[in-house]
Amino acid sequence: MKKKVLAALVSAAMVSSLLVGCGSSTGDTAAATAATTAAAAAATSAAATEATAASNDLLTGTEFEGVTAKEAYNFSVIVKSFQSTYWQAAITGMDMAKEELGITYDAQGPNSESDIADQVNMLNSAISAKPAGIALAACDTKSVLDSLQSAKDASIPVVCFDTGVADAPDGSVVATVATDNTAAGSVAADKMYEILKDKIASADGQVRIGEVNQDATALNIQQRGLGFINELIKLVTADGKTVAVAGNEYYVNAAEGANGDEASADVVIEVAVPAQTTVDLCNTEASKIMSKEDTIGIFGSNQTSAEGVLAANNNLGVLNADPSKGMIGIGFDAGSVIKAAITDGTMAGAVTQSPLLMGYYSIYAMTMAANGDKVEDFPMNGYWYDTTNMTDSQIAPNLYD
Amino acid sequence: MKKSKVDLKKLGTQKYIVLIVLIALYIFFCIASKTFRKPTTLISLLDMSFYYVIMAIGVAFPIMTGGVDLSIGTGVICYALFGGTLVRNMGAPVWVGILVAIIFGVGIGLLNGILVAVMNLPPFLATLCTSMITRGLGSMCKATPWPTGQQDGAWFHNIFKITLADNTKIPVGFLIVVAAALIMGYVLNHTRVGRYTLAIGSNKEATMLSGVNVKFYHIMAYVICGLFAGMASIAYASAIPTVQPGTGAGMELDAIGGAIVGGVSTAGGIGTIGGTVFGAYVICLLKVGLPFIGLQAYWQQIITGIILIGAVMIDIVKKRRAQF
Repeated sequence: MKKKVLAALVSAAMVSSLLVGCGSSTGDTAAATAATTAAAAAATSAAATEATAASNDLLTGTEFEGVTAKEAYNFSVIVKSFQSTYWQAAITGMDMAKEELGITYDAQGPNSESDIADQVNMLNSAISAKPAGIALAACDTKSVLDSLQSAKDASIPVVCFDTGVADAPDGSVVATVATDNTAAGSVAADKMYEILKDKIASADGQVRIGEVNQDATALNIQQRGLGFINELIKLVTADGKTVAVAGNEYYVNAAEGANGDEASADVVIEVAVPAQTTVDLCNTEASKIMSKEDTIGIFGSNQTSAEGVLAANNNLGVLNADPSKGMIGIGFDAGSVIKAAITDGTMAGAVTQSPLLMGYYSIYAMTMAANGDKVEDFPMNGYWYDTTNMTDSQIAPNLYD
Repeated sequence: MKKSKVDLKKLGTQKYIVLIVLIALYIFFCIASKTFRKPTTLISLLDMSFYYVIMAIGVAFPIMTGGVDLSIGTGVICYALFGGTLVRNMGAPVWVGILVAIIFGVGIGLLNGILVAVMNLPPFLATLCTSMITRGLGSMCKATPWPTGQQDGAWFHNIFKITLADNTKIPVGFLIVVAAALIMGYVLNHTRVGRYTLAIGSNKEATMLSGVNVKFYHIMAYVICGLFAGMASIAYASAIPTVQPGTGAGMELDAIGGAIVGGVSTAGGIGTIGGTVFGAYVICLLKVGLPFIGLQAYWQQIITGIILIGAVMIDIVKKRRAQF
C-alpha cells in the first residue's frame, strides 16, 4: 500500500514536472516565434516602405521594369535551408516583390543544406501541386535534373536563384537569378593579392594561402572556390612567381594554370573541405591551415566556412586586417559574427552577395514567366566590403545579421 | 596463453586499454604533424571535447540500461538555439539562457524516459522521434550567435575557457569535465540511480522482481542524459560562434561512439564513466587529428567507423569469454 502511494506520488510529480517542462518550452517557442515574426515583419515593412519609394530605382534599366502580374499567381519557393540568415534576407526580398505585384508564394526548405534528398522530395511535391511557377535554390545541382524535366512536362516555369543548374533539361529553367560566383570568388582573390602583394614579393621562402570551401558538390561553391583559386594563380604567375594548389582533390584537379609543385612553389594555395557543412568541422579544417607557420592568408568561401575561420581564430589569434601584424582573413556573405570581425579589425573584409535583391528579382522573373513573357538570365555582382564602406547605401542593405 | 588472460583481468576493464590508445594516438599525431603539436591545437581539441565528452557521459546512462538516446545531437543544437534566442533577441540575461537550455534538456530527457520506461517504446524509436522534434523546434529559431567580445553576457565563455589579456587561453572546461566524470562515476558506482541503471541493463525482470521501482530509475537514466545534453549545449555555444538551426544530426553518433569505444556495452549492464570519457576523447582526437595529417574528410569517417567496429568486437569477445 505504502509503495502504491509512493508510486502514485512519484508519477504525479513526474507528470507535473513534465507539464512544467512542456509549458516552459512551448512558452519559449511561442515567444521566440513571436519575436522572430515581429522582427521579420518590422524588417519587411521597413524594406517595403523603402521599396515603394525606391522600387523604380531597383527595377530601372532591368528587364523587370514595368512588369505587372496578369493574375494573382501562387508560386512555390524552395530554398536550400533556413540554416543561415542569408536565406531569411532572400525571403525579405521576395516579400517586397510580393507586395508590389500582389502575388502569393509558399516558401520551404530542408533542415540543412546537406539534406539533398529532402529537397528533391519537396521539389517533387511542389510540382504535383501545380503552382504558377517555382523558384529553386538547388542544394545539389545534379539531383534536381529529373524533377526539372517533370516540371517542364507539367509546363511549370522554374526560376533558379542563388545557384544555377548547368545541365538543366532544355527549356525547363526559364531564367537564373544568381550571383556570378566565379566573378565573386575572383573579387576575393583580387583583394587578397592586393593586400598581400608586397609580402609575397619579399618572402624568403614558401608562403601559403588557404581556402575553406564547405563542400565540393554545389555549383556555386565550386565556382566561387575555383574563381578564387584561378584568379590568384593568374595574379601570382603574372608577377613571375610559381604557384601550386594542394589539399582537396576536386579543387586541385579543377584548378587551371598552376605552374609549380607543392614542395617548391613560391605560393601554395591549400584548399580544405569538411566532411559536413557545419561551423565546427570548418573550424577544424581552418585550424589545420592557419596553424602552419607559412600561412599568410585564408579565404572562407561562404558564411559557414568564414565563421569556421573565425572560430579557429578564437584559439589561434593570428588574423589581423593589417598584413604586417598577422594573417589576412577574407570572408564571404555577412551575418553578425563576420560583420563584427571586420569592424574590429580581425578580418580584412568580405565579399557579399545581395540575397535580398536576389529574392526580389526572382519573384519578378517568375511573374514574367507566368505572364508568358520571355525572361533573360539575371547575373548579379559580388561586392567587396570592409570597414571603409560597410555603411554605404549600396552595401549596407545586403549585410544581414 | 594463460598469462595473457591474467593480464587482461589485471587490466580490469577496457578503460585502461582506451587510455593507452588515446595517448598512443596523440603521440602519433604529434609525430606525424608539426602543426598538430602547437598548444593552440590542443586548445581547439579541448573546445570540441567539452561538448562531445559531456554528451558521452550523459548518453552512457541510457546505453547502460540497454537503450540509447539519439535525440542528444539535434537536442544540443535546439537547446543552444533557444537559450541564445532568449539572450540575443529577447534581452534575457545569459544565466537565464543557460538555465533554460539546461531545463529544456532535462525536459526532453524526461519525455524520452517516459516514452521508453512507461509507454514501453523501443528506445531507438522513441529517441529518433524526439530527435526529429528537437530538430524541428530548433529550426523555429534563427541562426543565433551567443554574446561575444565586449557584449553583455560574453562572460559565459569563461565557464569553459578563460581568455587573458594577452590572448592566452586557459581551458578551465577541462576541470568541469573531470569534475563531471568524478561525480557521475560516483553516482554510477555508489548510488541507487547508478547501480539500478546497470541492473536494469543486465536484467530488467530480475531487478523489477527484487522490488526496485524500475520505471523511475529507468526514467532517471534518460533525465541524466538530457541534463548533460543541456550542459553540452552551453559548451557548444561557447566554442562555436553561431549555432545554426537544422544542424546537430550526427553529433549524437560521435558521443555514442565515444561511450562504446570506452567499453560501455550496447547490450546494457556494463560500462564505466572513465572509459566513456577516454573513448569520447579518442573520437575527438580523430576528428581533429586526421585533417591535420592531411587525410581528406571522408577518410575521417571511414577510420572512425572502423575503430567503432573494433571496439564493439572487443565487447563481443569479452562477453564470449565470460560465457565459456
